[in-house]
Amino acid sequence: MLGGLIEANVESRPEKRKDFDSLAARVGIFVTDIDEGVTLDFQRGHLVVHNGLEPKRDLTIRAEAGTVMNLSNLRIGLFGMPVYYDEVGRGVAAKLVGGKLRIDGLLGNLATLNTVTRIFSVAG
Amino acid sequence: MAVKAFSDEWATQFKDEVNRSSVYKSAAKGWKWTVGLVVEAEPDKNFPDAKGVVMDLFDGSARDIKVGPAAEAQKCDFVITAPYSRWKQVATKELDATKGMLQGKLKLKGDLPTIVRYTKASQEMTECTTRVPVEWPDEK
Repeated sequence: MLGGLIEANVESRPEKRKDFDSLAARVGIFVTDIDEGVTLDFQRGHLVVHNGLEPKRDLTIRAEAGTVMNLSNLRIGLFGMPVYYDEVGRGVAAKLVGGKLRIDGLLGNLATLNTVTRIFSVAG
Repeated sequence: MAVKAFSDEWATQFKDEVNRSSVYKSAAKGWKWTVGLVVEAEPDKNFPDAKGVVMDLFDGSARDIKVGPAAEAQKCDFVITAPYSRWKQVATKELDATKGMLQGKLKLKGDLPTIVRYTKASQEMTECTTRVPVEWPDEK
């Protein structure tokens, strides 16, 4: 489903295509309440989706299913930055602070996280 | 009083629940697409024929919800398909619909970005189904 979401976003939104074409990173998403994960291997305009968490990931996002969906609903604001001050953004930030959303590898990969968030976002 | 699962009476009660929900009304503002639920047959669960639920949803309200042939539901803008027992799990809160879709237990056809944008509305719609007392055919 996450691969399908990215595909639909990239096909319909030119600004997401630009991000997609520039991104080279391995991003793991682990959905904690179903105990399943995927690895999204972005290869500058090409995406390979692996079932499960593959090694050599740059970032790994661990959260419950609802939070993963909420990440896709983050609005993108000025300078392409995710908006964390509206209702959805505050909810995501609260999960992060409360440890219910964990992002491994964030240090040094903040720009990658922002790019991935923009590609995922359906909200703006 | 409990109604038969996926019957006309169930559809009426489900529609009433949706229209009573202030959460749905606000979360589904701007929604303008039809949604079809395909309930696949499971003869061993006393559910011998597939059924379709056609939901005409518009801007936070349910204009119409009808039960009919699966083929009708398959013509909707968004189609969610699962066997009878999976839908029962959703309606009895054993399976969260969002998790079900992420796991592929509920198959979704339609524009994914649109449905993800309305995650809260679809979660509330699931809540509405759980508020309808149902007589399940495999529990007779």
